[in-house]
Amino acid sequence: MKILVVDDFSTMRRIVRNLLVELGFSNPLIQEADDGNAALTMLKANAFDMVVTDWNMPNMTGIELLQAIRAEPKLKGLPVLMVTAENNREQIIAAAQAGVNGYIVKPFTAITLKEKLDKIFERLAASGASA
Amino acid sequence: MTATMTAVLNEGLPAEVRALLDSTDGAAFEQALDSMVRQREQHLFRALGVLARDLHGAVCRLGSDLANEGVPESMTDARNYLAEVLDMSSKAAHRSLDFVDRMRPEAEALSANAVAVLDFSSSETDPAAVLARQAQVFANACAEGLNDMVLVQSWQDLAGQRVKKVVGFIESVESSLLELVRLTGALAGREAPVEVAKVASQDEVDRLLSEFGF
Repeated sequence: MKILVVDDFSTMRRIVRNLLVELGFSNPLIQEADDGNAALTMLKANAFDMVVTDWNMPNMTGIELLQAIRAEPKLKGLPVLMVTAENNREQIIAAAQAGVNGYIVKPFTAITLKEKLDKIFERLAASGASA
Repeated sequence: MTATMTAVLNEGLPAEVRALLDSTDGAAFEQALDSMVRQREQHLFRALGVLARDLHGAVCRLGSDLANEGVPESMTDARNYLAEVLDMSSKAAHRSLDFVDRMRPEAEALSANAVAVLDFSSSETDPAAVLARQAQVFANACAEGLNDMVLVQSWQDLAGQRVKKVVGFIESVESSLLELVRLTGALAGREAPVEVAKVASQDEVDRLLSEFGF
């Protein structure tokens, strides 16, 4: 499964990558971008199966990236998991309205990450089966 | 009101005000009043200017508390110190992650070797088997601890975001102060330098402040 990890802090990208590998995802298939703009360019150029993104980033924020993904016919079905320090109600609602698939507040545990990922894949499988 | 009473009341007033009240020339009266009001305004604006200068100085010193290393000479120094804090904490987090990357395969190998020894062992009381079992417990505890260590590094990212917010706050305070200085300068009758919308450097800050005599 090809995953794009988007965060302006290199530490956080490495931590998310580390956790994803621990959960059994293939390390070479995980790629990184340091803001929304770079992520969008990569997503348009190559097929990815999932995006894990931060909210607060320079140039293009995570919510703008999410909106851009949902607005792009080729990308709109892509699962997006938001991993962010933003924990105020309005922002979580904004992410939900923009069509986020999961929302994790930092700092988080590997168990939380696994739960959210499992839920995303369960929902995708269910919607795939009913379609 | 009698002339005597007026004279008594006027006694407590400054000479210029007394002269003004005694004047019978309407135009001169208006002019004198305007000049007094202007003088008062200028006092106020000068006081505001001094206040702005003091606040600016305080913000300049803020960085020193955060960086805990001498007193920054300028706002740019303060910002640089905070950038260094970010950089150092990021390096520390990466070194911890390097350590995890190095130790994880070691823990896995120890666990696998312990299993191999246990498979070969004929008796549970065999000292090699006892040691292998202990090694296995240790390796598993290490693997768990290493995972926790990875997660703990995410505090660097959270702390870094706070620092970034403080940097943004310092910048906004500085531009507000400059706007105040510009405004007080303009109201005090001096020409305001309209081209300064954002602060590019400390030199710019000092030049602007000195233009208004602060």
